[in-house]
Amino acid sequence: MADLIQLLTNGLALGSVYALAAIGFVIVYSATGVVNFAAGQFVMLGTFAGVAMLLNAGLPMPVGYAAALIAMALFGALFYLVVYLPLRTSPVVTVIIGTVAIGITLQNAALLTFGSWPFRLPSPFEGMMIEVAGAVVSVHALAVVATTAVMIFLLWLLLHRTAIGIAMRAVAQDVKAARLMGLRVQWLLAFSWILGAVLAGVAGLMLGPMWFADVNMGDPIALKAFAATVIGGFGSLPGAIAGGLFVGLAEVLGASYISSAYKDLIAFGIMILFLLVRPQGIFGEPIQDRG
Amino acid sequence: MALRVLALAAYLAIGLALSVSVSEYTLRLLNLATISAVAVIGLNFAFGYAGLISLGHAAFMGLGAYILAILTTQAGWSPWLATLPAILGTGLAAVVIGVPLLRLKGHYLALATLGLNVSFGIVAANWIELTGGTNGIAKIPGLSLFGHAIEGERPFLWLSLAVVAVLAVLASFIQRSRYGRAMMAVRDDETAASMTGINVTATKVSAFALSAIYAAIAGCLFATHVHFISPDDFNFAHSITFLSMLIVGGEGTIAGAIIGAALLTFLPEWLRVLGESYLAFFGLMMLAILIFMPTGIVGLLSRFRRSAKREAPPAPASSGEGART
Repeated sequence: MADLIQLLTNGLALGSVYALAAIGFVIVYSATGVVNFAAGQFVMLGTFAGVAMLLNAGLPMPVGYAAALIAMALFGALFYLVVYLPLRTSPVVTVIIGTVAIGITLQNAALLTFGSWPFRLPSPFEGMMIEVAGAVVSVHALAVVATTAVMIFLLWLLLHRTAIGIAMRAVAQDVKAARLMGLRVQWLLAFSWILGAVLAGVAGLMLGPMWFADVNMGDPIALKAFAATVIGGFGSLPGAIAGGLFVGLAEVLGASYISSAYKDLIAFGIMILFLLVRPQGIFGEPIQDRG
Repeated sequence: MALRVLALAAYLAIGLALSVSVSEYTLRLLNLATISAVAVIGLNFAFGYAGLISLGHAAFMGLGAYILAILTTQAGWSPWLATLPAILGTGLAAVVIGVPLLRLKGHYLALATLGLNVSFGIVAANWIELTGGTNGIAKIPGLSLFGHAIEGERPFLWLSLAVVAVLAVLASFIQRSRYGRAMMAVRDDETAASMTGINVTATKVSAFALSAIYAAIAGCLFATHVHFISPDDFNFAHSITFLSMLIVGGEGTIAGAIIGAALLTFLPEWLRVLGESYLAFFGLMMLAILIFMPTGIVGLLSRFRRSAKREAPPAPASSGEGART
């Protein structure tokens, strides 16, 4: 029982990180239609923004986190200008290859800046453990779950209770109609990229202390975020959350109860199964892209 | 037709001239480029003609390579004989996978095939009795012809140049046959295609299987050239590279597949003069090519040719409609 509680906590924490990465991916996809294959590199950059601010610049924690997230927001704006705007009318394959290409650039730029040696990003709850129903779990894992819950609540407030959020949802539904209503569509699209980058940044800052900060961490995260998105339902925010938690739990529980070698096969197998049987996922978008 | 023969002659002339004039290292790169070209000509059936976004092409190349490697090293088959089950088995696997999977389109198909490629890597890395796990399979025997072993970079290049030429000619015939035209019709409009009596599912599955067969041939070449394979040789990044090669060269064209394979094999090497940052520049250059040359190199060339002829039809609107030579 104690083992199970420990595994569940770790699974939910990892799942929360995947969920945030998937939410960042989905927000961009819903608003702009871009399938961002650099989404994993966004999370990697978030982790390394933390490394730069907390370890290299030696900023105290709250200031360092804020600075890292501001850097991510700027990065999102830059990505909008340099990658999204030139590719916005390209076919989906060109966008996929283009974001992969820029992902290679980001990964190697990080390699040049930070080197191949992994960093240990500190947590505010470094080394703290707490006993829950007889099981010892790390405070950081609990804090990750709590932070994710708070982020999701704030995101919900933004999207449903603020003018800019409602405008963003309008753009996601119908760009033309939104433009005819006088919304400043380009600014809203830029804001979607910024929001996506900041959410990926939060995911990266939380993941850093759980894994090592390694410049090659982007691809595995992207693959898990894609699996989460497909399982939950492409374009759906509740789906991204459910899918992310599912993939995280499947990874941790699968590793200890089924096979640590094949743990990743569970997530991808279920992803392919969903695509075949229920491609709209759990919460699904209405789909045209299926014969 | 004349242009096609001319292109083939030019390809063979350039290939032969390079094969006797360049360094051992460049020969090795040329071999990798020709092996990639086989895979990319194959991918052109699935993506260029039938419009199926496949991010799992490297898995089919890997399946072919592993079947050959296992049969030759563990069952003692001759490599030539082992290419048969490798090619046929991979084609069959593509049919079995394609029937359910090819109902998906666009980025759904892209992610499903990506998941497939990742799953292939996981199985290849963990089914240790059969695949050797991450250590891979070593000592795969090389091919021989008329009693002469095809060893060393130069003889192998002659073989692989010939294989590319034969497969390119074959692909060209398929492209102009009713099957090739059916694939393009399905890509452009499924409903209209089915109205004219084309079996959409069968067309997609056969395009997918053909592309897998070409990938398996590339896998057999790779295994017999390098004599060693491991799961990393066929991970999903290679699938993305193959698709990049096709798009940079010019999707829907065989010449584009070959040019793209050669260019993206050599581009990183040329960029090495930039030092450690060369891969970062490589990514930026790829992005620039996609932005400024949306129809790829062949698309650009044929636009020049047309404007030279002063016919000057309107430029294609999207790369999907690119000129096909």
